[in-house]
Amino acid sequence: MNEVIKELLYKIADDQLILGHRNSEWTGFGPLLEEDIAFSSMAQDKVGQSLALYQILNELGEQPPDTVAFMRHAERFHNCILTELPNGEYDFSLVRHFLFDTAEFIRFDMLRDSSFQPLAELAHKIHGELRYHILHANTWIKQLGSATKESISRLQVSLDDALPYAMGIFEESPYEQELIAEGIFGGEQMLKERWMTTIEATIHHTNLHLPAWNSIVPVLGGRMGKHSVHLQPLLDEMSEVFRIDPTAEW
Amino acid sequence: MKSLDPRVKRLPEIGTGKRPSAVDIHDQFETFEVFVQPKPGKPFQHEGAIHAPNLEMAYIFAKENFTRRFTCISLFVVETRNVHVSAMTEGNQNVYDVLTQKEFPKGEKIPHEIFHLIKRGKQHVQVGSVEAASPDEAMAAARKQFDTGAVVFNIWAIPKKDIRYTSSDEADLWLTLPEKKFRDATDYKGGQKLKEFLDRSK
Repeated sequence: MNEVIKELLYKIADDQLILGHRNSEWTGFGPLLEEDIAFSSMAQDKVGQSLALYQILNELGEQPPDTVAFMRHAERFHNCILTELPNGEYDFSLVRHFLFDTAEFIRFDMLRDSSFQPLAELAHKIHGELRYHILHANTWIKQLGSATKESISRLQVSLDDALPYAMGIFEESPYEQELIAEGIFGGEQMLKERWMTTIEATIHHTNLHLPAWNSIVPVLGGRMGKHSVHLQPLLDEMSEVFRIDPTAEW
Repeated sequence: MKSLDPRVKRLPEIGTGKRPSAVDIHDQFETFEVFVQPKPGKPFQHEGAIHAPNLEMAYIFAKENFTRRFTCISLFVVETRNVHVSAMTEGNQNVYDVLTQKEFPKGEKIPHEIFHLIKRGKQHVQVGSVEAASPDEAMAAARKQFDTGAVVFNIWAIPKKDIRYTSSDEADLWLTLPEKKFRDATDYKGGQKLKEFLDRSK
């Protein structure tokens, strides 16, 4: 059963770490001072959440958090490809934040009932953090999704670009049946269905439109370690100091 | 003058006698005032202002801009123009003693939050709420309820309907904040790290 839980923990932790790092690349470059601070702060939350998950993994016998975060090659990361894509312009980063964080909020909401106690406790603890993240995302999407011709068309283009990757969030684990049967996690299928309903409800408040769900071809592979060309450079940069001097403090 | 800076663009053209053009509403955001409640049972206090396109956007900005470091349990925001301000007194004059208006236009009474400034250079602090048909009437009502004779330099009255409060189901937004000590500047012992580095380099 340990392998089943570890697989689940790794993919969630890797999502948080990689997107946390990506979003932190906006620090100092955000479109507004206030937004720069808010987005950086949420990126920090994500890295903190990945740390909490790596600590649970460490208690299950995995290497310490810094080692798993900084010493693995891209092929050993289980994050979905959506999280590793370059930031692009702010419209893309916002749309990714909206699509990913909505799924993340629902995933942890489901995990509040997990039979695996450490995960259920973490899910309860970070509920408020995640709640702010989706409040932030929904507010921005509603604002720009119905503001000006330019803002609407920018968001629409980014939404169309991001959706195939967003479907990769729900790439199934080899252990779906065990996770569901053991009451650890309700499964990717249930998560995806709740996510689609939630995304539709927010988009409905804007001038954006969603393509038919069945017309979107999911980009899969991330959960199995098959990544885009963008992940390894991110890892190289993120782990540069640790690789030079693992005892460095700053 | 051609410039991408909106402040420069608004300047009048020199020598033409033309008035500066009106500010485009898309050019600058409005401001909103941010109030934070540090602990249960403690009053809200004014923390500062935020630029935003509307009330809900102001709330999401205020949350990280004003409450990401020190523990708190609630936050609210209001458009600056909806904060009604009394006169500011000089010396040790109590502002309630200079409120002379006694008659107010009739109207539907609505709840207002009342804030006092009791130390110069400090924040306005919430003292409670009153029902009134206008902010002026709210201040007169506040005099009956909150004037203890202690010097108040300035009063703010804010109609509750204009406030974006934190809802009761948003109360866990700050739950993990006590663990984020690393966001407190004093948590980073820069001087100590430098000293250790210099000691090692000797």
